[in-house]
Amino acid sequence: MSTSEWDEFGFAPDHDEPIPYRKRIRDYYVTLGFGTPYRWAHYADVPFTPVTRPVAKMRVALVTTAAPYKDGAGDQGPGAPYNNAAKFYKLYTGDSSKDHDLRISHIGIDRKHTTAEDINTWFPLPALRDAAKQGLIGEVAPRFLGLPTNRSHKSTLDVDCQDLLTRVKEDRADAAILVAN
Amino acid sequence: MSLAARTLEAAGIPTIVMGCAKDIVEYVGVPRFAFSDFPLGNPAGKPKDQASQTATLALAIRVLETAPGPRTTVQNPIRWNADGLWKLDFSNVAQLSKEEIARRRAEFDNGKEIAKQRLAEDRKKGVT
Repeated sequence: MSTSEWDEFGFAPDHDEPIPYRKRIRDYYVTLGFGTPYRWAHYADVPFTPVTRPVAKMRVALVTTAAPYKDGAGDQGPGAPYNNAAKFYKLYTGDSSKDHDLRISHIGIDRKHTTAEDINTWFPLPALRDAAKQGLIGEVAPRFLGLPTNRSHKSTLDVDCQDLLTRVKEDRADAAILVAN
Repeated sequence: MSLAARTLEAAGIPTIVMGCAKDIVEYVGVPRFAFSDFPLGNPAGKPKDQASQTATLALAIRVLETAPGPRTTVQNPIRWNADGLWKLDFSNVAQLSKEEIARRRAEFDNGKEIAKQRLAEDRKKGVT
């Protein structure tokens, strides 16, 4: 099909589709000599718990991979380069009724196009409190939860995910919103 | 984060993942996914655009409530920008010079060393 026909039908350009991150990152690893490319966890089966009552009556927990700002751990943004020193290695919690200073310099975000200047683009706690006020959810669980982003599937599954489940149950949350970065 | 959603879900707690890496989250396999086609780091909406943040969270809440079964992905209709050219940039080796490749190699090695030291320190303290 010629370009003019493409335009005629209003088709989007080839590049305008969700980025194929796995392929991009695999090619990047190989070209830059990073050794064995990262292997993501991968399942054929996916668990599902039906939602049987309105979310407007539920207590909802918020889970984040963002890290509390840490004094002395270098540039944590906005605009910071990748900062391994800002990482955390154990699940943490915070009071959902308060505002927090959480950063994403320790995560592989898009450093060209993500400014990381507005916490509400990665940590929607104020928005979730508003959603509760407006009746979209019943209430915000008393603590939000910070999940480490380790590169070990074993520590994620055996330790971090289990810690998370324990806390969510302690807080008697009915559902969880997990905000990935 | 996808593994955490699976863990909670398997224990009877419904979940929704908000994220920007469509292929990765779907490859792992999650119950419900509110996908925003934004640069990584903006899973909850566009910067300094409260309307987009409110709408992005509202969509996630709706998907949480209405998903008919596992692997439900709903794409946020909000666009990052009109041309979508930002999608050509992320980790795209075709766009890197030799010097840039060398610089990034050095940066990676340094990061790995710090992570190793921190893990060793945490283990000593019995943190992990």
